[in-house]
Amino acid sequence: MDSLEEGPQVQVKFVTRQRQFAIPETAIQTPARLRRYGLSQIINLVLQNEGEKQRPFDFLIDGEFLRTSLAEYLEERNLSTENVLTIEYVESMLPPTPLSSYEHDDWVSAVQVHRQGGFLTGSYDNHVRLWNRQGECTQILAGHTGAVKAVQWLTSDGDNGTLLSGALDRSVLAWEYNHSDNSYSVLYECRGHTAGIESIALNATGDQFATGSADSMIKIWTTTVPKTSDHIEEVTETRKRRKTAKDDRILKAPILTLSAHTGSVSAVVYNPTAADTLYSGGWDHSVRVWDVENHVNVTTKNCEKVVHALDYSQHSGLLATGHADPVIRLWDPRTEDSSVVKQTLSGHQNWVTSVSWSPSSSYMLASGSYDGLVKVWDIRAKGALYSLSHGKGSKKVFSIDWSDDIMLSGGEDNQMKIHKVQDMSGRADALA
Amino acid sequence: MPTTRPTKKAVAPASTAKARPAATKKTIASEPKSRKRTVQEAQRDSDDDEFGDVAIDMASDDEDMDGDVEDDDEDDEVDAFPEEEGQDMSAADLEDDNDEEEDSEGSYMDGDSIVDSQEENEGDEAEEDDIESDFGDLEDDIDPNFGHNLNEPRPVESDYNPIKREYPEIDPEYDSDSSTEENENTVGNIPMHWYDDYPHIGYDIHGKKVMKPATGDELDKFLSTMDDPDSWLSAHNFKEGQDVKLTAEELEIIRRLEGNRIPDADYNPYEDQVEFFTSKTEIMPLSAAPEPKRRFIPSKHEAKRIMKIVRAIREGRIVPRKSGHVPPKPKYYNLWNDAEDKPREEHVMHITAPKMKLPTHDESYNPPAEYLPTEEEIKEWNDMDKEDRPKNYLPQKYNALRNVPGYGQFIQERFERCLDLYLAPRVRKNRLNIDPESLIPKLPSPRDLQPFPTRLAVEYLGHEGRVRSVSVDPSGLWLASGSDDKTVRVWEVATGRCMKTYHLDELVTSVVWGPSKEVAVLAVTCGYKVGLILPEKIFSPELTLHSEEYLKAGFANSATSEVNPKATWKQPTPAEFEQGIRVWVHLQKPVKQVTWHRKGDYFATVAPDANNSAVLIHQLTKHQTQQPFKKTKGAVQRVMFHPTKPMFFVATQRYVRQYNLQRQELVKTMMTGVKWISSLDVHPAGDNLIIGSYDKRLCWFDLDLSSKPYKTLRYHQQAIRSVAYHKRYPLFASCADDGNVQIFHGMVYNDLLQNPLIVPVKILKNVHERIDALGALCVEWHPTQPWLISSGADHTIKLFS
Repeated sequence: MDSLEEGPQVQVKFVTRQRQFAIPETAIQTPARLRRYGLSQIINLVLQNEGEKQRPFDFLIDGEFLRTSLAEYLEERNLSTENVLTIEYVESMLPPTPLSSYEHDDWVSAVQVHRQGGFLTGSYDNHVRLWNRQGECTQILAGHTGAVKAVQWLTSDGDNGTLLSGALDRSVLAWEYNHSDNSYSVLYECRGHTAGIESIALNATGDQFATGSADSMIKIWTTTVPKTSDHIEEVTETRKRRKTAKDDRILKAPILTLSAHTGSVSAVVYNPTAADTLYSGGWDHSVRVWDVENHVNVTTKNCEKVVHALDYSQHSGLLATGHADPVIRLWDPRTEDSSVVKQTLSGHQNWVTSVSWSPSSSYMLASGSYDGLVKVWDIRAKGALYSLSHGKGSKKVFSIDWSDDIMLSGGEDNQMKIHKVQDMSGRADALA
Repeated sequence: MPTTRPTKKAVAPASTAKARPAATKKTIASEPKSRKRTVQEAQRDSDDDEFGDVAIDMASDDEDMDGDVEDDDEDDEVDAFPEEEGQDMSAADLEDDNDEEEDSEGSYMDGDSIVDSQEENEGDEAEEDDIESDFGDLEDDIDPNFGHNLNEPRPVESDYNPIKREYPEIDPEYDSDSSTEENENTVGNIPMHWYDDYPHIGYDIHGKKVMKPATGDELDKFLSTMDDPDSWLSAHNFKEGQDVKLTAEELEIIRRLEGNRIPDADYNPYEDQVEFFTSKTEIMPLSAAPEPKRRFIPSKHEAKRIMKIVRAIREGRIVPRKSGHVPPKPKYYNLWNDAEDKPREEHVMHITAPKMKLPTHDESYNPPAEYLPTEEEIKEWNDMDKEDRPKNYLPQKYNALRNVPGYGQFIQERFERCLDLYLAPRVRKNRLNIDPESLIPKLPSPRDLQPFPTRLAVEYLGHEGRVRSVSVDPSGLWLASGSDDKTVRVWEVATGRCMKTYHLDELVTSVVWGPSKEVAVLAVTCGYKVGLILPEKIFSPELTLHSEEYLKAGFANSATSEVNPKATWKQPTPAEFEQGIRVWVHLQKPVKQVTWHRKGDYFATVAPDANNSAVLIHQLTKHQTQQPFKKTKGAVQRVMFHPTKPMFFVATQRYVRQYNLQRQELVKTMMTGVKWISSLDVHPAGDNLIIGSYDKRLCWFDLDLSSKPYKTLRYHQQAIRSVAYHKRYPLFASCADDGNVQIFHGMVYNDLLQNPLIVPVKILKNVHERIDALGALCVEWHPTQPWLISSGADHTIKLFS
């Protein structure tokens, strides 16, 4: 403790929302030169954690992570060293550890984790792959004639399950698989888009899904499996049929088409808490909020860049968007103002093509970018918490998905990479 | 007074004896003062005293009566003091006056009665008035008669002798400073030894001699001093010749003088100040009288006087002096002042003489050794002609400054300097004082001109040869590229994924997407052919089908129409058809460029070698080919359709010509001023165009403005290969063999009066590696986003956002 007596001192009061790490809330004299590590040591000292039990902590002052020394922090903000500084400390998120990486035949353009089941990947080889948690490719679903750009789990129940996939061949296919007899079949084909499918989003109740396409349309479909094909007025149907010689699939028409975007719709996401609310972003630089029930474009928010990715956090209520620039933008969809970016996160070097909120934390966010990095962000911190290299070189990352403790990423290097992430669920500080 | 008396008594006998020489026959009334005192004294003291006093007076009257003084005194009394008695009476016996008339006779016994009788002599009638006046005056003053006497001389005794008048006695009591002395010597301030030989020491006021007082001998003096305890307090009065006993007041005065104090004890030098004007402001005015009228009525008199002056000024009789007018002083020139104090003021066109060179080290009296000339140098210098010498001196070393001799050339040099100054014409050089910053045109900051591409976003890798041409389809999703590896590739713009590869048999020089969104067609030039490709699976079935039919329709038409020998439309082979190629157009010469009309029906090709048929316009739907120009001037480099009007631009090596296709006439010829045009693009609005040239220039033409370039930009280090306008954003770009891509903000205003604004906003350096002296070969803008796609000799295509 001798070293703690040196230099200028600051009175700090440590508070926490994690009860298991609570220490008495009294002001402590600490050296101003201390950084996160030093403060973390103090907490561990007070908690009498030793050896293995020592935990790293992060320190929040006014809702912002301390990334400098206390003295620099105070000086930067012109704060007095006389006052008692209240510092909230939270257990640090442990760095994600790469678990494994699985080779595909082509670029991996879409990944999704089922919370209980396995992983789902879509690839540029027109196949949808199913993986179990042990990293075995259980099924390869062939049926698309274009690169699979979007995948979406519907149900996963042991060996059986249903899922959706959208591809550049303009079709969304609903699949049913059975691991036990290693069979799969297309339940129905959703037809209506005139350009490639970019994104699929399932609503909270699971009875509807939305697709965004490069033809600037958003179409809403039901998940019910129809008995017969809907009548679709398609001029090229006969010819296409003849040409591709596909087996007869049950065709499905959209129940609704939302058209307001003037460019490719690159991302759609449902609000998990309000089944009718849909968010979309597109190449027309807009982020739109839709009321699906009333087919109304509620609000439109504009920025200067193409929106590539979009995700909504039910905990923080914020939209995160990835753009054709290296900046992640956070929006509050509830505000009416058309161009208010609540926060920007900078750190990537190239387009951000994929964003995913942590399912359990209102602050955590992951993003994948063309610069070949997956970054984990805490919106309270200035920079990224962790930068994960997706693969060899700086190959583009096309898609990431963050489930509870698993983060999937797929990219140009034909790899689906799995990272083990600390599960934030159940932590008192994870939710705002 | 009582103290002086003994002395007087003692003096009296002597004075009577010595008073005889005074020859005053006439009896003049003695000094009233002294007499009055005597009367008073007589009343107080005994009769003896009184007689004594009178005796002195009598002695002066009558010389002869020496012995019987007292008797004479009695006799003369009646004559000598007729009035005095009366005066005395009035002064002393006031009460008796009231009884004068009654007891007139009885008063004979007294002096009073005598006076009365005399007055009766003067005039009985006046008597009563006099008495009355006396009586009345008694209340006011002591002596009314005395006032009469002073004022007018009264003739004495006889009226017939007017000359002889009896003047009134000088009464020094009133208004006289000598009133305190009874018998003052009047000689004045003279040396008293003049009177040493005389028995008297001067004269009193009446002209009578004042006798020297008797002076006792030393013994007497001594005795007297011994007797008189106050003798030490007495002073000798030389004028009077006697000792005067100093009074207490006089002693006090002396004491005060000795103490350097003001002699008068009563005098207060520090009296309280009596303010003449009080410093206090009175609350109430001194007078309650209202302000007099004259205070506020202007004076008529003054008005008159002023009017008089005014009239005089008007008539010019008075010339008012100008204020501050000072009569000029006469100027004198100091002829003899040859050395002027101040230098003369410089003339406007004065040019200062050039400064003389400052002395250098070798002109020092003790130059460093390396400056000293060697023997050879000295010899050389001496041998040299005087005018050829670089310096007209040789450096010399002296041990001390005092050893330095006078400079022999001084006069000569000074003379030459003067000659130089006098004969050499000096020219004023006008140095422009312009801030170079102000010459730079005011351009907006590139920051304000966003968006424009700044960084590499996507790379499209796969080509194995120079990528000659790139093109983005109207939807903005697909990128086509043609390369020297004899392939045409179609890429997904956002990901960089190569979706299709078309293998052709010749180098692909140009690929262009059909501009129509209804028809998906890609025109490629490949050797002598122009191919039309329908990319499969990329576009929706409807679009694909529509395009298919669109492309196919012409074959039916071409079968009927006559065949143009310069271009033959041909079906592709089945293998090619399977690839996606739908139509071939065979030309006679290698085709370098293909460009679409905005509607997507016509496209034009350039085959520079094909002389007059270099430019051909093809109609897709009819599979027809036209030769718009029977004769082309020069080698055609590029052609372009006007984006809105039926115009056609043809760029030859040096000129760009604008033709009207409907009227089939030349509209305009642009003098580019460059040596070899490499590329051409027309602004989407149609009024401006840019060209790039192999001599590194980029020229912007405003078609409405002039046939000369509006701006010529030389930013590239090497030949410009390609220029391109953005279809939506005010941007244009150029790429060159140096591998750089320049991005400009090129704003064209709707206002015809405002010239286009051109601002270089970004240089993308070394975008493409230089291979075989070729760098970036083609730039193309994304149709909807501010993204730039460039292709280069390094086999890559890059997208910048």
